[in-house]
Amino acid sequence: MSEFVQYLVNGLTIGAFLALIALGYSMIYGVVRLINFAHGDVFMIGAFAGFGTLTVLGSTGGMALPAVLAAVVVGALTTGLVGTGIARAAYVPLLSSPRLALLIAAIGVSLALEEGVKVLTDARFESYPHALDGGRILSGAVQVTWGQLVLVVLSVALMAALWLFVTRTVTGTAMRALAMDRDAARLQGIDVERLILATFFIGSLLAGAAGVMYGLYYVQISFGMGFLIGLRAFTAAVLGGIGNLPGTMAAGVCIGLVQSFSAGYVSSRWTDVVIFGLLIAVLALRPTGLFGERVVERA
Amino acid sequence: MTPLTPRDRGRRFRTLTAAGAGLLLVPLAAACGSGGSGGSGAIRIGVPAPLSGDSASAGQDILAAAKVAADEINKAGGVDGRKVQIVEADDQCSAQQGAQAAQKLLNSGVVAVAGGYCSGAAVPAIPIYGRRGVPFVMDASTNPSLTDGGKGKVFRTCGRDDNQGLVAAKFMTGPLGAKRIALLHDNTTYAKGLADAAANSARQAGGQVVYENALQPGQSDYGPVLTKIASTRPDVLYFTGYFAEAGLLMKQRRQLGLRFALMGGDATTDSTVLKTAGPAAGGYIATTAPLAKDLPAAAKFVSAYKAANNADPGPFSVYEYDAVKVVAKAIDDAGSTRGAAITEALHKIKDFPGITGPITFDAKGDRTDPLYITVQVQGGAFTAYKKLDESGATWVDAKTS
Repeated sequence: MSEFVQYLVNGLTIGAFLALIALGYSMIYGVVRLINFAHGDVFMIGAFAGFGTLTVLGSTGGMALPAVLAAVVVGALTTGLVGTGIARAAYVPLLSSPRLALLIAAIGVSLALEEGVKVLTDARFESYPHALDGGRILSGAVQVTWGQLVLVVLSVALMAALWLFVTRTVTGTAMRALAMDRDAARLQGIDVERLILATFFIGSLLAGAAGVMYGLYYVQISFGMGFLIGLRAFTAAVLGGIGNLPGTMAAGVCIGLVQSFSAGYVSSRWTDVVIFGLLIAVLALRPTGLFGERVVERA
Repeated sequence: MTPLTPRDRGRRFRTLTAAGAGLLLVPLAAACGSGGSGGSGAIRIGVPAPLSGDSASAGQDILAAAKVAADEINKAGGVDGRKVQIVEADDQCSAQQGAQAAQKLLNSGVVAVAGGYCSGAAVPAIPIYGRRGVPFVMDASTNPSLTDGGKGKVFRTCGRDDNQGLVAAKFMTGPLGAKRIALLHDNTTYAKGLADAAANSARQAGGQVVYENALQPGQSDYGPVLTKIASTRPDVLYFTGYFAEAGLLMKQRRQLGLRFALMGGDATTDSTVLKTAGPAAGGYIATTAPLAKDLPAAAKFVSAYKAANNADPGPFSVYEYDAVKVVAKAIDDAGSTRGAAITEALHKIKDFPGITGPITFDAKGDRTDPLYITVQVQGGAFTAYKKLDESGATWVDAKTS
């Protein structure tokens, strides 16, 4: 039983990261109909930006919570700008081109970011300061650290903020309108290009925050870290019904749990087989994802 | 693009094939021209290593060490009055890239190869070098099958996994007093080979293997694996994978409050581990060939490496340095750059004074002296801990000699 609870706790923690990253895929797909394959690498850049911040703030051993929050903020803002820059340079010029051009551009951007960071960091692993290691909430048969709680709370707070933004603000409403029908939205006087850039800013911001949190939790970051986690987050976005934000959040947590349970009860080497097998099964039975679809198929 | 008619396609195919064949022939001809004995210009020695991908930092360390060795040889007048030139190729630690890297090195006219890191990349490369008769001296590929099937044209300056597995098993059942042993690898040729070797030796030494499975590298979250392992109540977990995962395992073991001892193989003795694991690394034990700083003979190399690269040498740098040196010595002895002559000369080398100890190869191409010791993390650094004495039965302090 205690094993089960431990897997549950671990799974929820991973799920919180995955959901944050998956939201970016979902939002960007919603407004641009683009699977932004560079999103995982934006996440990686966020991790490095946070690492830089903590290094500048002077990091040995235990860091105070303000420093951690500063790193999250700097990491998120950096990736927000990087994401917007990518969209401006690589995607917006291709908006009226065939979808395939956008897709190839996204893969190109992904490789460019990854290789760029590889050159800049000499392909080395970097280690975050051990800021969230101290202290446990539970230390019996089931172990829960304060660090895990901080990360889950931060993730939930960011998701709640996003939800409020999308449902309660004019920009958020405009984004939803754009997701429904780009041309009709344009006719209503919405500046489509600016709104697309805003979507990239917010989606990348969340990925960057997740990147810093990942660094704080796992401590070890490298240029290649975005690929696998990006692919899993993308799976979560598809499972949740891509474009559907609450569905994406729920599916992100689900994937985290699947990852944790399959590694625990089957074997870690089967995890990817289970996750991506699940993806194929769900797509075969419900092509719109587990949680229905909100994105209308456009002619 | 306009659609192609079948005839167009045929024509295009022929043109492409002809162009491709031409492109292939040019370097081939160049390679044949410079590969014979008595050529002039630099003697080219190939260094395949993972220069990109997850193991890139280890690969860069290896390449840097090869360059230090080549510099030294050239400053001392070269080999037979000719300079030595290092030709690098990226094998990305994968079988497919390993084969391509081998082909690339042969195409650029190398007379011998000194390098490699992942056994998985060496497996397909060995027959490619073998067909051309070019000797391959490996510096870090430790899988037993490599020299077992190498037909005497493959050598290594590093040890073998079965040898390391034996030392690990003896240490766990001996000084560590472990009865229940868990083994974790990462499904790479190297890690699985070492885990298998350790399992066999552990059973023979009277231990019980309670868990043997793999983790998925790059996943970062090994909490579930560790929880699963803890449920088998082991006394010790021996992890045979690479350093990126080892640091995370230490940290997460502590996070989960697990009590069993954690040991690792030689691919975990990287300083990244200490930074990642932080205080959780204290007391961690690894089996490894001696590191550069534990080898008095390597002091000069370490300072030359630091001067050239502004960093400490990696765990396999000393073996790469010796690999390049021993290849140069063999070319010098052979008085020829023909592959067969160099291979013969390598087999004849006896007690070559390498910085990792005297180098003599057996008929398979393995070193005759056992290499492995244990190191322990003390005060935030890997420190030589215990080693087997010459009888192979008694553990002695590794620092004293």
